[in-house]
Amino acid sequence: MYLLLIFLLLYLKNKKDIFYSPETKKKYTISLIVPCWNEEETIAETIEHLLQIEYSGLKKIIIVDDCSSDNSYKIAKKYEENYPKKVQVIQTPKQTGNAAGAKIYGSGFVDTELIGFVDADSYPEKASIKKLVGFFDNPKTGAVTCTIVPRNRNKLLEKMQVIEYNTIAFTRKLLGYLDAIYTTPGPLAVYRKSAFDKIGGFDKNNLTEDIEIAWSLINQGYEIKMDLSTSTTTTAPDKFKEWYKQRRRWGIGGIQCIAKYKKEFMKKGILGMFIIPFFILQFFLGILGLGVFIYLVTTRTISNLLFVTYSVPVGTPLVTMNELYITPSFLNYLGIVLFIVGGIFTLIILSIMKNTVLKKQNIFNILFYSGLYLSVYPVIALSSLYNYFKRNNSWR
Amino acid sequence: MKNQKYIFLYALILTIIVFNIGIYMGYKLESSRIDKINDMYLEAEMELLDQRIQKDTLDVINLDCDLLVQENIQFADRIFEEALLIKKYEDANKMNDKIKFQHKRFDLLRTLFWINSMRIKEKCNSDYHNLVYIYDYNNPSIKQNARQKFFSKVLGELKEKFGDKIMLIPIAGDNNIPSINLLMKKYEINELPTILIDENIKITELETMEDIEQYLN
Repeated sequence: MYLLLIFLLLYLKNKKDIFYSPETKKKYTISLIVPCWNEEETIAETIEHLLQIEYSGLKKIIIVDDCSSDNSYKIAKKYEENYPKKVQVIQTPKQTGNAAGAKIYGSGFVDTELIGFVDADSYPEKASIKKLVGFFDNPKTGAVTCTIVPRNRNKLLEKMQVIEYNTIAFTRKLLGYLDAIYTTPGPLAVYRKSAFDKIGGFDKNNLTEDIEIAWSLINQGYEIKMDLSTSTTTTAPDKFKEWYKQRRRWGIGGIQCIAKYKKEFMKKGILGMFIIPFFILQFFLGILGLGVFIYLVTTRTISNLLFVTYSVPVGTPLVTMNELYITPSFLNYLGIVLFIVGGIFTLIILSIMKNTVLKKQNIFNILFYSGLYLSVYPVIALSSLYNYFKRNNSWR
Repeated sequence: MKNQKYIFLYALILTIIVFNIGIYMGYKLESSRIDKINDMYLEAEMELLDQRIQKDTLDVINLDCDLLVQENIQFADRIFEEALLIKKYEDANKMNDKIKFQHKRFDLLRTLFWINSMRIKEKCNSDYHNLVYIYDYNNPSIKQNARQKFFSKVLGELKEKFGDKIMLIPIAGDNNIPSINLLMKKYEINELPTILIDENIKITELETMEDIEQYLN
């Protein structure tokens, strides 16, 4: 409820400039790095999109192949041959095993004022960089990101992620007004090179290097901004297993960040006073809720099984009319109110975002999202915690 | 961009207001249920008092025993139905503990009714059966809970089958009420739940309906 009210107040306060992109007269030079590992299906399209970017300060598109075993490297090399001034393809000396490794390696080849990173399966809009660079006129800005939306939107799981990504983008924009953007997502994020170097770039040991770098920037006093008016499309997992694995990786990465920055907890500043407590609370409440749910379901199931065991031989009815009249408790009403408020909030977000990214969503999808999709997250939180302590931290 | 961190404070104040409104409404909802139980209690108390007067009058003048027995049975049916409703309210009430106090009052009233019923039965030489259902109210285990739900269903079935031949009286056996403790001691009730038939037969296990019906025919 507290978070919802924060978002609501922020939106009411800033609704006029929610899609605002500051213009700049300064022409920042920028290089874009594309970490790539076995992305033969999308790498060509990604490079095509990057070549179409309308920003004259874009100096280089650097494809960093992390020793792919498919044709990614060959495909990228053809672009280097065709666009030798614009595209550079490099390969890591040995496989780093994670996105951070390839990103770190690629950053060594950059000498521009800004450095951007684009996932090899993500397609930024033509105007994206032009819209993002304006934020760097503020010397405190360390990084800028934009709306990320799934490109594939046919299956139910994909539709759920469309709602989720839009909600994340919108709330991230709102968090920007508090200087509390806690991640610079992989599909497209641009960093001030001097800030990037100052914090030592990405942490290759973190499974969510894009969250860790954001925390690191904030910890060094930088601000992260978000442009809602431009978007980058990316490939969302279309199978539950892949989706679950990805979310668990995010979860483990989040815990790694909490562990790394635990000393900042409750210290002055948005990181210690809001971001870290928010992450901890998310895990704590999720796992607590799951525990209570499991306890209630287990005890009721056992009780009902016993009841059936007693009743069947005697022939007493298992359900009577009297039991169909439910007497809701105050907490049931509260839960319903929260569910409705959450649903309305999602609807508001989708109606606002509709102009830019959303084609169609229906009430069923939103109910499914609010009721079932989000309820898997506590399970992921528990699984992430388990895998974190088990040190099962492989990226791929 | 202007610092907007004051939003944290505004949102906190709003959350506290919304939360307090929610708590207040919840309290009011539960209080209205307790008021309803209280009304039911007062009505039941008055009716029981009337029956006690009728029973006491039997000693002095000759009253219509059939009518008294009939009223007694109807009263028993009502308090059994009310007990089910109170149980629902108790399960739904999370904030207001007064309902437990109300439950104790009802237990006392039902105990009084039970004693009155024993006397009416004796005086009027009636053939109805007193079925006193003594259950665990405060901390039933999962197994006890299932058994109590089952016993409650069995009693409902019996009532449907035997109608006016049985008088159902549910009483909590673990509310530490001295009079109930004394009666439990007298009838040697050591296990909950127990169905006591005519102050004589105790049933704690039930495998078929015949196990209990044999005492009612």
